[in-house]
Amino acid sequence: MGIISEFYGRLGEDILKATYQHVFLTFTALVIALVIALPLGIFLAKTRFKKLSGLILSIAGVIQTIPSLAMIALIVVIFALIRLPTIGRLPGIVALVLYALLPLLRNTYTGIKQVDPVIIEVARGMGMKERQILFSVELPLSLPVITAGIRIATVWTIGIATLVGLIGAGGLGDLIIRGLRTIRIDYLLAGTVPAALLALVSDWIISRLERWLTPEGLETGG
Amino acid sequence: MIKFENVYKFYPNGAEAVKGLSMEVSEGETVVLLGTSGSGKTTSLKMVNRLIEPTKGKISINGEDIMNQDAVELRRKIGYAIQHIGLFPHMTVAENISVVPNLLNWQKAAIEERIENLLNLVGLPPEEFTDRYPSQLSGGQKQRVGVARALSSDPPLVLMDEPFGALDPITREQLQNEFIELQAGIKKTILFVTHDIFEAVKMGDRIALMDEGKLQQLSTPAEMVENPANPFVEAFLGQHRFQLSLLTKTLGRLIEKNSGQEPGEKPEHRLSTRNSLVDALDTFKKTRKNILPVYDGKKYSGTLKKEQLMKIISEVLGENN
Repeated sequence: MGIISEFYGRLGEDILKATYQHVFLTFTALVIALVIALPLGIFLAKTRFKKLSGLILSIAGVIQTIPSLAMIALIVVIFALIRLPTIGRLPGIVALVLYALLPLLRNTYTGIKQVDPVIIEVARGMGMKERQILFSVELPLSLPVITAGIRIATVWTIGIATLVGLIGAGGLGDLIIRGLRTIRIDYLLAGTVPAALLALVSDWIISRLERWLTPEGLETGG
Repeated sequence: MIKFENVYKFYPNGAEAVKGLSMEVSEGETVVLLGTSGSGKTTSLKMVNRLIEPTKGKISINGEDIMNQDAVELRRKIGYAIQHIGLFPHMTVAENISVVPNLLNWQKAAIEERIENLLNLVGLPPEEFTDRYPSQLSGGQKQRVGVARALSSDPPLVLMDEPFGALDPITREQLQNEFIELQAGIKKTILFVTHDIFEAVKMGDRIALMDEGKLQQLSTPAEMVENPANPFVEAFLGQHRFQLSLLTKTLGRLIEKNSGQEPGEKPEHRLSTRNSLVDALDTFKKTRKNILPVYDGKKYSGTLKKEQLMKIISEVLGENN
């Protein structure tokens, strides 16, 4: 008990601050990514230019394959070239947004695409306008797939957000880096354990959200 | 009510789905578009609510060219039913039925009343079914909801694309019978697509048989079976002709008018002039009688003996061999 209370006594404040920063980074990045990916994914699913959707989805896929460390380095270099701040939250959030884009984009795209075309034709045949079809048929029916994408993106972003500590964006990565530099297991754990917990808790929350958002008729029988 | 004037549909890839279709469907009539897949029957149906736009020619509803109307407005005035997969899986039965009334901005109370009436009409007790989801319904129940939904805004015209196609034969027949009875009460103008000749004969006041985008024959079922217009129609009826004759020949034209004494049988021991030979055969079997009275509506019109019926049937068999 003594060791633990001492550990938290020293680190408690640091952990709280870093966790808050971590949540802020992740959340901001996810919201921005969602604002981009949701309309873009819908557009790609509906556009007649299938080649364009293919192209953009593969670009997002390629971004995903860049190792996260390399990505952060790349952003710093590019930011330096275009005279934007190379340290702090901005480059960090940009990196996180780029990573979160793919799962969000892909799932929005697939979610809309998997809606039975017969259902859409019936909706049209009954006299729904395109906007009404999107909001009252396509989106509700693709919501489970889209939320699954949000879930994946959240867990990934929480993990990758530990790396942006490297460029001074803050977050739990700070503690891990401090632990690495000073070879101290307590700092290392103070960064790692909350990050892992954060991922688990978010995953659980979103899975609940997923169930709550899934239109009722889709749950039974399928 | 609906008029097709020399309507064509060509696709950019060169496919010619409909070639020069001209026909009229009058008010309160059920016309069945019959044909194999690729015959152009579904394309013809979907051109009426502009899910597919005709390449050439004119389609008008009550004299108004549909191309001069707003497509969305037009569709809201036309009922549309398809195979059961067409129900919105994320909406309850009530929500599915209220889609079009909602689009038309009906009052909430009016919609609720309509839902209740329609569910009663299609034989689904409202208190049990309004809040169910399609996944909690059997195939037949889904189809009933589909029919109720197509009738939701009380449209004068209803398009039905193989509405009973995905059902097992027993449920299908039951729904067909119920629908015929329903239609007798509501007298909608119906354009009905099927590939099943027996369904066509059963449901249609007239049948429009199509092949390769062209109308092959447009006539009453009986006329089609008795006088196929061309070799294609003859081939399409094929080996079913004998059976179809039994289904389409009605007693009205066969029994001898008999002004004699009315036998006064129970209603279930009566035949109707509109009964087909098969119906008559069934009734003889069920009642175990050898002679039954025939009524034209409520008017007594004569009697039919079992041996007479058998003789007629063997004559039909002779005609078809």
